[in-house]
Amino acid sequence: MKEKLIAIIAEYLGKDASEIEADATFEDLGLDSLDIAELVMQIEDELSVTIELNAELNNIDKLVEYIENQG
Amino acid sequence: MLQSQLCELLGIKYPVFQGGMAWISDANLAAAVSNAGGLGIIAGMNSNREQLTAEIRKLRTMTDKPFGVNVMLMSPFVKEIAEVVVDEKVPVVVTGAGDPSPYMKAWLDAGIKVIPVVASVSFAKRAERNGATAVIAEGAESGGHIGKLHTMPLIPQIVDAVNIPVLAAGGIADGRGMAAALMLGACGVQMGTRFLIADECTIHDNYKDMVLKAKDIDTITTGERTGDACRALKNPFSKDFHKKEMVDCLPAEELAPLGIGALRRAAREGDVQTGSFLCGEIAGLVKERMSCKQIIEEVCTDCEKLLMGASKWVR
Repeated sequence: MKEKLIAIIAEYLGKDASEIEADATFEDLGLDSLDIAELVMQIEDELSVTIELNAELNNIDKLVEYIENQG
Repeated sequence: MLQSQLCELLGIKYPVFQGGMAWISDANLAAAVSNAGGLGIIAGMNSNREQLTAEIRKLRTMTDKPFGVNVMLMSPFVKEIAEVVVDEKVPVVVTGAGDPSPYMKAWLDAGIKVIPVVASVSFAKRAERNGATAVIAEGAESGGHIGKLHTMPLIPQIVDAVNIPVLAAGGIADGRGMAAALMLGACGVQMGTRFLIADECTIHDNYKDMVLKAKDIDTITTGERTGDACRALKNPFSKDFHKKEMVDCLPAEELAPLGIGALRRAAREGDVQTGSFLCGEIAGLVKERMSCKQIIEEVCTDCEKLLMGASKWVR
């Protein structure tokens, strides 16, 4: 799951997956709220999950935990 | 007479919303707009349960027409005001400053028409997927908290992306702006700045004077660096904030407290030095005080004339 999210975000940012730290905040990765909305739509489509945006979901680790808790 | 699916959908005469502006859009303004045939909207801002309930009940003594409440999703009281709109059977909820998904089901189940303000195609698609009745696509020409895209590119892209009605907002204050918005595929407009100078708008007279005197270049955006962009009239407060943000590069946590109380100081006290006078780029076009009824009828009549005359461009 984490690798998949990192891959999606790396592709979005045009970076290599190795450059993406899972505990860096989205803001530190250079993603603003419009980017996050865009990415979340993409992640929802690719992983068939539903994500409610909220300010606490601010890095990849937390997003992984959120998605896994949804079962 | 203009015709729009929005009018039938909401039971209003003109497809014109009055934006839910914090410290500005109270029961007086919203009731006047609704009585004039548009959709008046009370700003939920940071009101708590009692305050918002009182404002809604006050409006109901002033009009029996449909109206809306703007639920500001970043409010510390958002959970309780999300319940108030259900308890008070508010006909329309407009949301701003975030993703309304957690509340959408309860509102829709209660028969409320939900119309989120969106700033990009993704947010519009999310809103549609969650059952939104329509969306308001708001460009960065608007006053107050803004996104990044501007009205001209935003509207047609959202219109193409969703199958629900789209209202246009940001930079619209007259019949020309409305006609252009309809040509871009919108089925109605939301205006904020134009209503600031309405007779029924209860803001301080200094605020109205500043809007009436504003030129095209007289707004400034602050908070862009910290991802919290906000457009206001240039005054000592906004210029100083801008300098602290962009020149002195103060961190976000030192900038945030500067804004506390600034909206109230502008709207209620008319403090031209320390208030934050939120206002759109279109203020330069707003030159005359009039009633909400006059504003709405003028905008819609001019829009209609322009659309009727649009065939002059075609041979």
